[in-house]
Amino acid sequence: MTTTQPRHSRRTEILEDRPVNLDGFVEEWPEKGLVAMESDFDPAPSVRVEDGRIVELDGRARADFDFMDTFIADHAIDVETTEASMAVPSDEIARMLINPTVSRQDVLAVTRGLTPAKILDVVKLMNVVEIMQGMQKMRARRTPANQGHSTSARDNPLQVAVDAAEGALRGFAELETTLGVLRYAPLVAIALQVGAQVGRGGVLTQCALEEATELELGMRGITAYAETISIYGTESVFVDGDDTPWSKSFLASAYASRGIKMRFTSGTGSEVQMGNAEGKSMLYLEIRCVLMAKGAGVQGLQNGSISCIGVPGAMPGGIRAVAAENLVASMVDLECASGNDQSFSHSAMRRTARMMPQLLPGTDFVCSGYSGVPNADNMFAGSNFDTDDYDDWNTIQRDLQVDGGLRHIREDEILQVRNKAARALQALFAELDLPRITDEEVEAATYANGSEDYPERDVLEDLKGAQSVMDRGITGLDLVTALERTGFHDVAENLLTVLRQRVSGDLLQTSAILTHDFVPLSAINDANDYAGPGTGYRLQGERWEQLKKLRHVTSAENPETEVS
Amino acid sequence: MRVSAPAPQSRPDLGPADYPLSVNRQDLLRTPTGKPLSALTMNAVVAGEIVADDLRIAPETLQLQAILAESVQRPQLAANFRRAAELTAVPDAEVLAMYNALRPRASSRDELLTIAENLESKYHAPVCGALVREAAEVYQRRDLLAREED
Repeated sequence: MTTTQPRHSRRTEILEDRPVNLDGFVEEWPEKGLVAMESDFDPAPSVRVEDGRIVELDGRARADFDFMDTFIADHAIDVETTEASMAVPSDEIARMLINPTVSRQDVLAVTRGLTPAKILDVVKLMNVVEIMQGMQKMRARRTPANQGHSTSARDNPLQVAVDAAEGALRGFAELETTLGVLRYAPLVAIALQVGAQVGRGGVLTQCALEEATELELGMRGITAYAETISIYGTESVFVDGDDTPWSKSFLASAYASRGIKMRFTSGTGSEVQMGNAEGKSMLYLEIRCVLMAKGAGVQGLQNGSISCIGVPGAMPGGIRAVAAENLVASMVDLECASGNDQSFSHSAMRRTARMMPQLLPGTDFVCSGYSGVPNADNMFAGSNFDTDDYDDWNTIQRDLQVDGGLRHIREDEILQVRNKAARALQALFAELDLPRITDEEVEAATYANGSEDYPERDVLEDLKGAQSVMDRGITGLDLVTALERTGFHDVAENLLTVLRQRVSGDLLQTSAILTHDFVPLSAINDANDYAGPGTGYRLQGERWEQLKKLRHVTSAENPETEVS
Repeated sequence: MRVSAPAPQSRPDLGPADYPLSVNRQDLLRTPTGKPLSALTMNAVVAGEIVADDLRIAPETLQLQAILAESVQRPQLAANFRRAAELTAVPDAEVLAMYNALRPRASSRDELLTIAENLESKYHAPVCGALVREAAEVYQRRDLLAREED
């Protein structure tokens, strides 16, 4: 056969084979909303107040408001200050965001009165380094943190428990799970909670489910917080998601009424992916989500494109827009769990570059979350980072002296908490008459990497057990009692302490997490006080000593040996 | 912001220094069953003296957290806590039913107004009632009430 193909250079062939060329990239199409943040179809900023009410928002009169405009105008924007704030030139507000001599409070005094189009106009002026500078100051909690995923391709509760224990020990302040088979949820949520409290008392857990079921598990005290409360930037997509700003606001109050921490979720690209962006840019629509969340009075937001990251990731400037949406959440005083939580690129370099705008300045949760299981076991469709990347992550923290929330842990300690978590779950299941966990499974769990390393479980029996958790009305308190009765006193005590937090409501305040001493740390008692070099959160002292440790570090005293 | 709740009977003068209440102001905290935080011990759990209701938040505590949120200029968060304080009185299943009723095209105007009245009269929840009334008004204007054929 004769070839008619044009000849390629060897270099082209090599580049063609690079992982980055498996990624998808598309041209902008602003008319359909397929544009990151610079679109001629986005409205111009405007506001008009009459009789203490906003009657015009971003060029639209009140009579023409859709429900997002109505909700934002009536609940999110400070009517008293909006006209004054809107009169401040956008470039001046952008400069305030990066100027360390302007305090976070001074910026908030202005941003409380801004409309979505005005906020877009401000962040459009900022390049990615300026966005990071802004984030460093505007992040609500002074101390950054990280969130992990613990899931299993087989929904194996034991795997979820031991990987949660390891993740908690490595440093995640929050752990999240979800399911392949939804009926497994009660068992897996229990496993996550127990594993987390073995790894490090005070880690908060959640199980991502349909809104009503997620609330029910929370009410029972099996989970500690909730995050999968999705909101959207256009009315039509919001309705397609079977919610409205009012139903979601009611839900926010429902969670708080049970003492449960909660944040909403949104992200650039969701509206265009769901087919109705109304011809607006992804970032403009995301800013509407951020302000809707603010108006609902929810303490925080998970954003940064989240499960739609492929959409902005394919656009010019898309990752800049994603960094900007995190900044917008922080600059209106919401907790920001900043994405980096979905498979995004085949290229390790792109994956790393994508998280720099969150890791370097620090966010409330740099990932939301980082996969604490191998990617094949990640039931959130894979994360941007997983267990294979633990050592790389730790090394990057050490190289740049930044705190990404994790740390290196010696294998003996890891094996110990994995084994303990497995035994605790084994004892708990036995005590609660749930499907048996064998000694063989405990042994496998201690040394496993992924779900294929565990003996297979009897799925039908597990599902019956999961149903019985719901039918019998098992609560968090029952878990405490069972753990105590089976001799896991410290784990029981940890879980009781987490549950007791509900009574105080301290975890309901903005950006709250629990320290290893069970002290609530939020944007009240750990408010970000960044005011330029030498101020704000600094990675130093005992924490920096922890982060200097890696798997292999050569001893200074004896170059023949390693410390770890 | 226009949503506001009646202030609690006696409004303690709380500020950022009082947070976390579980550490600094345990004296102000009670479970809905009237127990202090210090009563929620493992011994009490083992003795069967603690029930699930002891691990809930009391409406008074949500009002305290609302005052704290206001003290750090977070009026919307405070309003959410005030709605939450009202919802502590509503049973779990009914809270879920109300949430589902607020979904788009799930309820007629009359059904939403009945929920609002129920919140206001039965549960003394005027702020939540107002939110539902507001939803009824917006849903009517935006064609999000239940349709005849639904």
